[in-house]
Amino acid sequence: MSALTKIADRIDVFSDRTGRIVAWGALIMVLVQFTVVLLRYVFGLSSVWMQESIIYLHGLLFMLVAGYTLLGDGHVRVDIFYREASARYKATVDLLGTLLFLWPVCGLIAYTSWPYVAISWKVLEGSRETSGIPGVFLLKTAILAFAFIVALQGLSTFLRSLHTLRTGETPLPSPSASEKV
Amino acid sequence: MTADILDIVMFAVACAVLLSGFPVAFTLGGVALLFGLIGLSLGVFDFGFLNALPSRIFGTMTNETLVAVPLFVFMGTMLERSKVAEELLESMGHLFGSIRGGLGFSVTIVGALLAASTGIVGATVVTMGLLSLPTMLRRGYDIPLATGSIAAAGTLGQIIPPSIVLVLLGDVLSNAYQKAQLEQGIFTPDTMSVGDLFAGALIPGLMLVALYILYQVYRAVVHPASSPAMPPDETLDRTALYKQTLQALVPPVILIVAVLGSILGGIATPTEAAGVGAVGALLLAGYRQAGTKLPVIAATGSLISILLLTGIFDLRIARSDIGTMGIVQILVALGFAAGIAWGIAVSTYRLIKSSVLAEVVQSTARTSSMVFVILIGAAMFSLVFRGLGGDETVQSFLLHDTSSLMGQIFGPLAPVVIVMAVMFILGFFLDFIEITFVVVPLVAPVLLAMGFDPVWLGVMMAINLQTSFLTPPFGFALFYLRGVAPDAVRTVQIYRGVIPFVLIQIVALIIIARFPSIATWLPEVIFG
Repeated sequence: MSALTKIADRIDVFSDRTGRIVAWGALIMVLVQFTVVLLRYVFGLSSVWMQESIIYLHGLLFMLVAGYTLLGDGHVRVDIFYREASARYKATVDLLGTLLFLWPVCGLIAYTSWPYVAISWKVLEGSRETSGIPGVFLLKTAILAFAFIVALQGLSTFLRSLHTLRTGETPLPSPSASEKV
Repeated sequence: MTADILDIVMFAVACAVLLSGFPVAFTLGGVALLFGLIGLSLGVFDFGFLNALPSRIFGTMTNETLVAVPLFVFMGTMLERSKVAEELLESMGHLFGSIRGGLGFSVTIVGALLAASTGIVGATVVTMGLLSLPTMLRRGYDIPLATGSIAAAGTLGQIIPPSIVLVLLGDVLSNAYQKAQLEQGIFTPDTMSVGDLFAGALIPGLMLVALYILYQVYRAVVHPASSPAMPPDETLDRTALYKQTLQALVPPVILIVAVLGSILGGIATPTEAAGVGAVGALLLAGYRQAGTKLPVIAATGSLISILLLTGIFDLRIARSDIGTMGIVQILVALGFAAGIAWGIAVSTYRLIKSSVLAEVVQSTARTSSMVFVILIGAAMFSLVFRGLGGDETVQSFLLHDTSSLMGQIFGPLAPVVIVMAVMFILGFFLDFIEITFVVVPLVAPVLLAMGFDPVWLGVMMAINLQTSFLTPPFGFALFYLRGVAPDAVRTVQIYRGVIPFVLIQIVALIIIARFPSIATWLPEVIFG
């Protein structure tokens, strides 16, 4: 157990906890959507607030669990070769992939989103509907949070891969892989 | 010169790098960024294209159509936990098992039922691989026939609505359709919705089921040894069997009728129907947990009563002419609503206690994230691809003179044939999500501008994408089946087993290309 894997463990715990908490948003989405349908079709009532809250939950759900999904190796790989490959090959791919693709992508998203989110904050952008949720600026901030969360989990992947390449061990505490659609 | 073909090089490099095995979403985005920078240094790319990225991401976050995805995933995962598949397989297996080829039919029929209710390929294939495959092997089924039947039946979830493929494809195509019409100067464009695509895919989906069964019948007749009948079980009471079958059929059929019926009936949007279906699955799973059945039964009864009540009376609260009777009716309806809430609350509590719900929400969240993060990566890819002039490249490729060989053979259908062939080949390596998000947005506007029907095109693409689940080496259905199949089954046999079914898919594509009304008739009847 080196210092590198200790940092990676910390990050993993963070991703795991946030992921498990945010995931409950899926249940809330289901219940709110059902309520909306019932109110609308039976009682002829509609609430912009409720309608929008589903959208908020949807957006926050997939953005904020992206790191957790990465931790669980839930992001699809074309694994024709990867699946059967040696631990060394996998570590090399993950190390280089994080360095060349994942971090730059997060960087680009953060770089282009910063002014986009900043403008939204400046006017505390609210809903386009008068009675909507006045928190569009917060929802947009999730884009920056996404970039940060994914980059952070990428660091864990990077450190573990580095550890594997150096020592030949595979200290991946791989939680159950995500189920596929 | 090099700058001209940069878009094509980028596409080729992306495909090559994807094979390394790094997650698709980030690979697509990373390659795009790399080529954006190369284009920038060569002066052929305007970095301004990438400034559209945040609004594209935000557009995905707030896209109401796409909200259906996590809801359907929740519904499917929850149903999977409530052992619907197991019960169906067992009862259908007994029901059809005593006829020759019967086990194969039961697999296909259960696949179709699960497809219309859960639509999760992995779960269906795994369940069937664990339950049906051993039985089939024990009875001496031809191994490739058995594995092929299971893999193919599992993929029906992608084509029979409701399905995630159709939701994603419907969203991409409706954008493409708008774009195609605007570019033609039509400023009040026709629209195409996910509902249209659901309706369009229903008959082609059932046609596939029929074709699979036809093939199984053919094998049973021509090679009787390939699909032997089970010896009739003397101890099994027929009436008890019918009762068991009926019981197994009730929950999925109710859900199918409720979800598909409300969408195809034009009552609810797919998203709304998904919400109802998800709660239905929640109640069903809650019912299967230990404890008194009363709350769930009460909730189901209340749900039916409230629907009847809505059909008979006007229960809208915000109206001025509510009489005394109206108030009574509304109060009764509120009572039923409370009954539903009670059932949901009890089910939720039980499922939390048994930690089933935690697993379901985590799985839903991960799947949802997996899908949409690829969408973000694909958005980066297509922004750069467009910025490098990729649109023109695709257009000139598809509009290539009709006097060419393709044009001579296929006439006006040539561009569609080319796209279908490209998608089919990509399907060997890529997953439906990448193809939907990367390839479809590039080719669909061009094809739609040529006047092809969007629903027809969507159904053709959906069948093509469904096939990608079956084509080795990167067919998900095959992976899942390999994962659960006994060691006696060799991977080569699994590969060989899907060949006839892949051919059936191609036959289905040809039939629908020849008779487009198979896809377009139902949506026209329903939505006009």
